[in-house]
This record gives sequence, C-alpha cells and structure tokens, in this order.
Amino acid sequence: VRELCQAAVDAAIGAGASYGDARVVVRRSQSVATKNGRVEAVNDLETEGIGVRVLVEGAWGFACDRRLSNEGARAAALRAFTFARAAGGRGPRALVPLAASSGTYKTQVKIDPFGVSLADKVALCLRAENALHHEEVKVTDASVRAQREYKVLLTSDGAEIEQELVECGGGVDAIAVADGGYQMRSYPSAHGGSSSQGGWEYVEGLDLEGHAPRVAEQAAALLRADPCPSLVTTLVLDAEQMQLQVHESVGHPTELDRVYGTEASYAGTSFLKPTDLGSLRYGSEKMQITADSTTPGGLGTFGFDDEGVPALREAIVAEGVLRGFLTSRETAARIGNGGGGSMRADGWNRMPLVRMTNLHLEPGEGTFEDLLADVDEGVYLETNKSWSIDDKRLNFQFGTQIAWEIKNGKLGRMLRDATYTGITPEFWGSLDAVAGPDAWRMQGLTNCGKGQPGQSAHVSHGAAPCRFRNVQIGVKA
Amino acid sequence: VTGGRELAARALAAADGDQAEVLVLSERSGLARFASSEVHQPTLIENCVLTMRIARDGRVGTASTNRVDDDGLRELAARAGEAAESAVAEPDFPGLAEPQPLPDVEGCDEALANLGPEDQARLARAAIEAGSVGLYGFFTSGLTELAIASTKGVDACQTMTDATTLIVAADEGESGYAEQTSWKAARIDPAGVSREASEKAGRTRGAHRPEPGVFRAVLEPYAFADLLQAFAYDAFGANGLLEERSYLAGRLGTRIVDEKISIADDPLDPEGMPKAFDFEGMPKTRVSLIEQGVAKGVVWDRKSAARAGEGHKTTGHAPPPVFAQFGPLAFSLVVEGGEAESTEELAGLVGDGIYVTRLHYLGIVDPREGVITGMTRDGTFRIRDGAIAEPLVNLRFTVSVPQMLADVPGLTRERVLVNVSDFYGERYPMGARVPALATARFNITGIGSDPGI
Repeated sequence: VRELCQAAVDAAIGAGASYGDARVVVRRSQSVATKNGRVEAVNDLETEGIGVRVLVEGAWGFACDRRLSNEGARAAALRAFTFARAAGGRGPRALVPLAASSGTYKTQVKIDPFGVSLADKVALCLRAENALHHEEVKVTDASVRAQREYKVLLTSDGAEIEQELVECGGGVDAIAVADGGYQMRSYPSAHGGSSSQGGWEYVEGLDLEGHAPRVAEQAAALLRADPCPSLVTTLVLDAEQMQLQVHESVGHPTELDRVYGTEASYAGTSFLKPTDLGSLRYGSEKMQITADSTTPGGLGTFGFDDEGVPALREAIVAEGVLRGFLTSRETAARIGNGGGGSMRADGWNRMPLVRMTNLHLEPGEGTFEDLLADVDEGVYLETNKSWSIDDKRLNFQFGTQIAWEIKNGKLGRMLRDATYTGITPEFWGSLDAVAGPDAWRMQGLTNCGKGQPGQSAHVSHGAAPCRFRNVQIGVKA
Repeated sequence: VTGGRELAARALAAADGDQAEVLVLSERSGLARFASSEVHQPTLIENCVLTMRIARDGRVGTASTNRVDDDGLRELAARAGEAAESAVAEPDFPGLAEPQPLPDVEGCDEALANLGPEDQARLARAAIEAGSVGLYGFFTSGLTELAIASTKGVDACQTMTDATTLIVAADEGESGYAEQTSWKAARIDPAGVSREASEKAGRTRGAHRPEPGVFRAVLEPYAFADLLQAFAYDAFGANGLLEERSYLAGRLGTRIVDEKISIADDPLDPEGMPKAFDFEGMPKTRVSLIEQGVAKGVVWDRKSAARAGEGHKTTGHAPPPVFAQFGPLAFSLVVEGGEAESTEELAGLVGDGIYVTRLHYLGIVDPREGVITGMTRDGTFRIRDGAIAEPLVNLRFTVSVPQMLADVPGLTRERVLVNVSDFYGERYPMGARVPALATARFNITGIGSDPGI
C-alpha cells in the first residue's frame, strides 16, 4: 500500500505538482437494525480506494480511484493534476511545516467487533427491543454498528502514516403514539445511538437491554405530559444536549475554513473573524472548551490527521475567551497561528476538510442535583430531538425529547415538545454552572455533515449538565 | 461507468445456489467547488458499488463492495450469505421481486455525459467570471449507472446524467442565491445562475430587522422545494404512514391543505430527473400525494406494501441502500403550478409580508404535525403594498407545513427543477419541480444575522 501511495505522489510531482499526498483507505463496516421485533437490516459493507490531492501553481486538485493498483494510483494522481491545472489558482498556497514525518497508530481494542458474529449482534438487538415492550409504544427499534478503517497516508513533504481505527456503537428508540400524539425516547442518545472508538466492550457496556424499560416508560408517559410552556426562564441541559450545543455553536464556528468562507455555499460561515482570536468573549468564565484528538474512545481520536499532523489537545475557549481555531495546514499558515491537525476526509473518495475531532466542554464542579438546587423556577431538558442553527452559527433553535419542570430546586412534572432558542455568545454568556467530573459524559455521533460533495464525519463530545439563566423556551409554530 | 449489467450478472453467478439480487451503482463525476471566486475544492470521483442481497427462507442479509475482481465478488457473496444466515426470518418478507415491464424514460444526455474535468473547470470559471461580487458554490456534472439483476430474472439498467450549478454571491452585508439543475447539457447556464445570484445579492445591502410574528409570504422555488422535501421524509413515505409519524396518517381522503395544492411524486417526468425503476428493479410510477388539497396517498416499496397488507402494492419507490432505513421515499416531487406569471405577481397577492429566496438548516420539530424550523438566507425581503421592498436580515421560522399550505393565495405557472441531493455517498440524481408559492401564514420566530459573508 505504501508503494501505491508513493507511485501516486511521484506521478503528481512528476507531472509538475508542487505538493501531493495520497491516502489509501480500506473500510469495513457492519450494521444490524431491528424494528418491532423483526430484523430490519443485516449489512456487511466494504469499500477501498486511493485518494490523491495535489497543488499545482496554487490550485488544489483531488481525484480518486477504487483500484488499489499502480495503474489506479497513477491515474488518480494525473486526473487530480489535470483538474487542478484546469481550475487554476491565484498563486502559491502556504502550508505550515509538518512536525513529524512518520508514525503509526492503532485503536486499542479488547473485543474485536468483527469477531462478534452478526448473529450475536442480531440477538443483542432483539433482546434490547424485547425489553422496550410497552402497551402504548407502537414502534421499537434497536441498532448496533462496527467499523474498521485502515489507512495509509504519504505526502510529498515526507509524511508516512499508517493507522487502523476501530469504532462501534448502538442505541434503542421507543415511539409511543396515541390520539395524534407522537413521542420518542432514545438511549444512549437520539439519531442512531452513540459510538466510541474501541472494541465491542463499548456496546456491551451500554447495556441497551437494561435501559430499555425506562426508555419505553418515558415515551408512553410523554403522551400524557403537558406541553412545554413558552417563557424566558432558567434552563438546565443534560450532558447529551450539551454535546449537541457544543457541536453546533462552538465546534462548527471555530472551524477556520468556515471563518475564511470556504464552506459558505453549504454549511455556512462563522460569526467569528480571524482577528477575534485571543480577545472575543464567547461566553461566561465557566466556559472551557478543548479540542482533543488524543481522548481515549473518541471518534475523533487518531495518531495523525489526514494531512499527517500529529494528534493534539488544545484550548479553543478558555474562561469564556476564544483561544483557538480548528485548523488545516493551509488555514493555520494563513492565520499565522497553530499547526493544523483537524483535517479529516470521509473515506478514500473525498478531499480532507477542517473537521471537529473530539471537542469537549470541560467539567466544572458539583453534581447535577447541585445545579438544580439553585433554581427556583426553570426547566430541565434531556436528549436531543431537533436542531437548527443559522449559517453564521448565531441563531439556534434546539428541541429535546423530554423535559421536566424545576420548582424550588427539584424536578417536578414531565413536559413534552420542549424547545429553546438563543444567540450563541449571549447564550454561552448566560452559562452560570457546569456540573463536575462525575457528571461528565462523552458520546460519539456519526452524522456530522459538511462539504460539497457531502461528507459525514464521526465526532465525539464530552460535557456535563449545565445551567443557563434567562433563556427563551417553548417556541411554537 | 458502463458495464453494470455485465458486472451484476457476474456477481449473481458468484452467489451460487442462493436467491440473490445485485445492485450496481456506478459514478463518474466532477465537482468544481469555489469560494471567494476561486476554485478551492475540485473533486473527481469514479466508483462502482455492488450491493448483494441474499434471501434464505425469509432471512435477508446484505453486503456491498467496490472490488469487482473475481475474489471481490466471491467474498461479497460469502459475506451476504453470512448476513442472511445471521438474520431471523421475516414473516412478511415478500421474496425477491419478479421482473416487470419497465417504462421508457429519458434522463441521459450524451453531451452532458462527456463533460470532463477541463469542461467542469471551464463551466465553474464561466460562473465565476459572470459574478459581480464574491462567488461561493460549485458546478458539478456526473454520469450515474444503476443496474439490477436477480435470480428471479430481474435485469434492468439505466444510465443517468445530471448537472447542477449552485451559487451564493456574497460580500460583507450582502448575499444572493441561485441554482440550476438538469440532466441536459443544453440547459446548463452557469453564467446565468451567477448573474441571478449577483443581482439578488445587490439588493440585500442594508438589511432591516423586523419583529417576529406571523407573516404572509412568497417562497421562491428554492425555498419551497427545500421545505417540501424535508416534510416529505416523514409525510409521504409508507413507513411514516404505517408508524403514524406522517401528517397523512389518519387523514387520507380528507382535505388537509388549500385546494390549489396538488403534489405528486413523478419519477417519469421528463422535466425532472427521470427514472425507469427503483432499487428493487420495480417500475417507477407517478403517485398522487395531495390532489386539490386532499390527502391521496404515499409511496410504497414491496416490503412496506407486504407489511401493510390490505391490497397495497409497490409504487416503485424502494430507496437507495443508503436510505433503506427510512423505507420508500419520494425523491421526485412535483407540485402543480398556478396562474401567476411571476414572483412579483405573487408579491402583489400577498400585499404585506416577506419574500424568501432560500432556506438553511431545516430541523424537524414535530413530524406528526409537520412542524419544521430553519432560517431564511441569501435574499430575504419585506413585501409592502404588493411589491418587493427593503431587504431583511436572515429570519428564523417555525412553521407547520400543512398550516402554511392551508391558505395559498397563488402559485406561479412556471415550475423550477431544484436539486435536492447534497451528494453524500454514491451519486443518484434527485430533484423537486415546484412553482413559487404565496402563503397566508409563515411564522417568523426569531431574528438572525445580516446577509453576506
């Protein structure tokens, strides 16, 4: 595989490219889904190929080939060169130098998820679903997944990287329906559950079956719950919704390619400017955000990113002030700060983009109960249901599956159809408490979209429950 | 990107002794993405994905690969066989499909198929050179082939072309949007798209901030198509109906929206992205979803029809493997046009309201009631005295789509094909052909940022 990458890079440089890199990716994935006690899908997928990126007189080009052969590698390189030359550029593009030239990385796995039979995966889903049974629950589903990605990167400026990343995950949903009401509860999170880098021990540790009865009970109870009122109040969010909040309102706006406008035509730009670094007040002093591609179990954990930059941990927001951006070698050179490290591609046939790795809200202190104790009146929201945020990542509106009224420091009646809305820096400015390390949770999502053509990134976030003051809740159609 | 039929037959031969179905989805495409009027992410893709479904006594398993040598195909069959062996027999499994006569459709244009990297770069440059402010977007064209073969005798193949120009023309404090999609090279006009977006951008400077509230509104086809497609995921598919997630559940046969509204899924429409068959090889058919305001039906595949019983049959809407979890979906939406000759005439019908060019980042708040939130973007204006007036900042809306369609003062006669694919995974051309719409109810629930970069 190394020779294929070398052949591609040699072909690119030989044709006249000033820079070239080649990535071979071999990905295998399995997924099982059951619904209402029936097997919905048993899938075993594989894909492989080589992607080649070149710089020709300041113009990028990218092409790929599914054939892992010298012919395929060279063909991809020459197509990338042709496209770059035809597209044209405005002059040289600088890339920050690489700190390391070679290395390997492999996910630590206790139980190989591909050593667990598909039949056992089916059985696990059916057991979990069976535990979701409830008279008022009309739809139950369970799913598990596993992925192994082997990849080799070689760059014309000396990087040689070999990595094997393994991840798996799962989740359950219960949907209760009655008299026009439609309510869903999920575990461990919505939208397909949660994933982690590591072995099958992660899925076993989720204990889908053990959590299922509560999930079903709550879905049914939501049918009878009162709707979330519309008012400005104190808001407490669970760790999972906080992960989504971090992802959408901190992760995406701090991607430096968005700041420079190169994602404007799809996912959007950012309210941040390059000159905001080190001075912009993002939120209250309780806000500490870290980008960390070394976090054990994170879906954004690796030895090196897809440009060959070693994994790193760095502050993005410290005591509420913007301290860092997520960067590539090109955007880091442009801003004159950092060394890249956030470039990731969705497989062999997509170009690397600036992506989140693992972006965490660092824990504060105290317990979840301590957060509630200081609330006379408010609401507690749990598990994401809907999400939308504007192109500059300022105006957001999120909904959760379930909520509870908070009265005099205690959870009260259950509420349904809860939403909240805000403007990013104002919202983070109203953060007045983050629960401590014991309440901190990390989960992984696999559906972060960006780029044209579209790419899905696998990203993890850690967070603890948080308290915000004076937030608008209960947006109505 | 040809030879899918032969490849499918070879793969089928590898599934010795099993009931098997093979899909071959091949792609050759180029996408020249630009920002600040410079191409920065040019991507060429060539791929060929084989998906094999094996059925053993009602147990069904699927495997896929892009290795097309004999070893790759043998291993594909072995993995699909193991997947089937691992499943549990499904009582409603309808078996693999029997071959059916397929409609003749267009959808492949040789001139478009022949566009190469230099052409794609040239067409992106044509758009860039026609812009009067910074341009952000892409030109893409591609050739896609879908072939299906099965041990039941299904043997179908269709080659499709598609091209899209998408442009945000933007500078600090101004932005405008336009796009164009077609399967015919003769309809590609990147410079025209660029001029439309640039002209729109020029009118968005000095945006005002209205108070939130319920407005009458005009939605351009870009905005209407986006909203309708988001609504369609839950509302117009059989799974949504059976699981009572769809707004149409319990409402079929009743009037749900204004009688001016008729919506169908029409994969045979030559002005759309025509398709002859679905991902089971079943013939595509036109399905009436809403007719003169009355809920008429949803789209079905064989699996959902068998599960529902009561005489339901496939309408030819088995989805691509990547969407299999959602069941059958409507990806060829067509909305009947009205009598208005222009969006300006619709603004006249609205009188006082807002004008929306496009939407951004839609989120489903309540699928059962069709409640969706999102932002307006790249061309939002006030309508005063029946005319498009001052520009507005980006606005957050939260609407029930059926409520929005309950009172429709008018629709344009002209309909526009809007691309509804973001090109994730394997390419498969999809588009919605809709008019511009005037509505009496569009709920603005928040105020966003200024237009522009």
